[in-house]
Amino acid sequence: MTTVAKMRKFKWRTNTIVLLALLSVAITTLYPLFYVVMTSSRTLEDYNKNAYGLPKFFTLDSYRILINNYSLDTAARNTIIVVGLSLATSLIFSSLAGFALAKYDFPGSKAINWSFIAVMLLPSQILIIPIYLLLSKFSLVGHLPGLMFVYIGTNIPFGVFFLKATFSAVPDTILDAARIDGAGFFTSFFKIAVPNAAAGITTLAVLQFLGMWNELLYAYLILPDQEMRLLTPALASIGGRYTTNQPLVAAALCITATPTLILLAMSSKYLVRGVPTGTGSS
Amino acid sequence: MTSPAVVEVGPSRGPTFAGGRKSRSSRGSLTRQKQRIGFFATLPAFIVVASLLFYPIGYAIWISFLKTDGVTSKFIGFKNYVDIFAAPLVHQVFLTNLKFLVAIPVVIFAGLFTAVLLYQEVWGWRFFRIVFFLPSVLSASVIGLMFRSAFTLNGPINSALISLGLTPINFFARANMAILVVVLALIWAGFGYAMMILLSGLMAIDSDLFAAAEVDGAGWWQRFWYIIIPSIRQQLAFVSIINTLYTFTSLFGFIFVMTAGGPLYSTTTLDYLVYQKAFSAYDMGQGSALAIIIFGVIATLTVAQSKYLRNDDGR
Repeated sequence: MTTVAKMRKFKWRTNTIVLLALLSVAITTLYPLFYVVMTSSRTLEDYNKNAYGLPKFFTLDSYRILINNYSLDTAARNTIIVVGLSLATSLIFSSLAGFALAKYDFPGSKAINWSFIAVMLLPSQILIIPIYLLLSKFSLVGHLPGLMFVYIGTNIPFGVFFLKATFSAVPDTILDAARIDGAGFFTSFFKIAVPNAAAGITTLAVLQFLGMWNELLYAYLILPDQEMRLLTPALASIGGRYTTNQPLVAAALCITATPTLILLAMSSKYLVRGVPTGTGSS
Repeated sequence: MTSPAVVEVGPSRGPTFAGGRKSRSSRGSLTRQKQRIGFFATLPAFIVVASLLFYPIGYAIWISFLKTDGVTSKFIGFKNYVDIFAAPLVHQVFLTNLKFLVAIPVVIFAGLFTAVLLYQEVWGWRFFRIVFFLPSVLSASVIGLMFRSAFTLNGPINSALISLGLTPINFFARANMAILVVVLALIWAGFGYAMMILLSGLMAIDSDLFAAAEVDGAGWWQRFWYIIIPSIRQQLAFVSIINTLYTFTSLFGFIFVMTAGGPLYSTTTLDYLVYQKAFSAYDMGQGSALAIIIFGVIATLTVAQSKYLRNDDGR
């Protein structure tokens, strides 16, 4: 894809200008993050003296306070349990359904497919009230499984939509050949479909992990007790109460944001491919 | 070509794996068996979606006709809807929500600007692409708190203003200033996603078009207006639709951590008002009715926008 570059007569000068423009946008993106990391690792007195500039010395006190006094370690553990189990369950259900809808037509499969697409477009405000009332009817408000049900349910429509497209790209010829060799549904699924669609499944897993990790509304309402909180709502409540202790808020921001940033660094190649999916770009 | 293979591939055509390829009648039982397998493999997902999404939607419509706090309830017909349409607060909140739309042109412009720059594929462009996408993986709470900390009365923005000899501004005590800060957060948070979508459109442009334009002596602006913009029309449409939807349905996280809807109701958005009605005032019926009205509004907007943006080919 170097054709554009080839068109340039004054390639060097243009490239320098472009690079400088990119750098200045990158600074507006990165500086706030850098500032938060710096703030989180300084003492309150040091911060109050001069909000800018580098800290005199680095301290992890704010992190220690958060873990000891605000049980962010419990919040982290709860988050990992909820997000991990919901992700595993919704991936299994979505990939089974996605594979079936892509390769095993049955009467009504089109209708199911369309109903999933339609429900994907619903805003969460419509769902939050009835879901909250239903979960409280089953005494699931305040318990981790309640939130897991919500995440599994809301993940599946997009998951099926995404994986149906992914599995459609698996060539029929391979599946036919396997079938002639006597492979049943599960053999075809695990031995052929899933390995061939691994990149798509990984992309979906990353997108849905980020969605759940960052979700606030359901997590806040369905787990209202302080000690059951997940990270994102715990952060929101810490940030709401301690406006005067900026290093503490900054540390909470760092704890919540770091896993997602690490995930971005590790899976950028999947996100670059996966994010434009479903936009009709071809 | 960065857009994934999954996008282009429709349902498989011709003789399919499912259909069997030769004499259909002799394979009849096999086909039926395949259909059964397909049905049972889809069933778990369908049951989950039916019980956790379809049923609640019906339930939401039912609740919207009730006066209920979640414990006791009374059927009151369309009264919730009538009350909402009559309430000055709802009108005010709707107008406030329109103000947040200001972020969208800026997001699209910034996304397009960065996408076009990245398209030059200068040294390190892949790195910059990830950097611009960074805010998109952060939660609204993280971004909202970052901006609130920055713009708070004794925060870094104000201390910068003081050191420049200006008076500090209490951003969150003034309606339009508070909206401005939220809008800034939305732009910072959102332009990377727009960039990613638009860049995938740019990458798909046939390079012969540029070669031909060069032969014709087209300048940069001409190439921009006559090749780039028409080629990524679909992506531009998608980005503007998705951002409009987002503005009406997904500001909750930002508002919740930044302003809690205040001062007074001046930064309360429609989705935040649903939350307040249902879970602060415990009026689940009105909350549901409002949510359904919002859905009606955004569905209309989406249809209108996609009609307008798709049919505008002739220009």
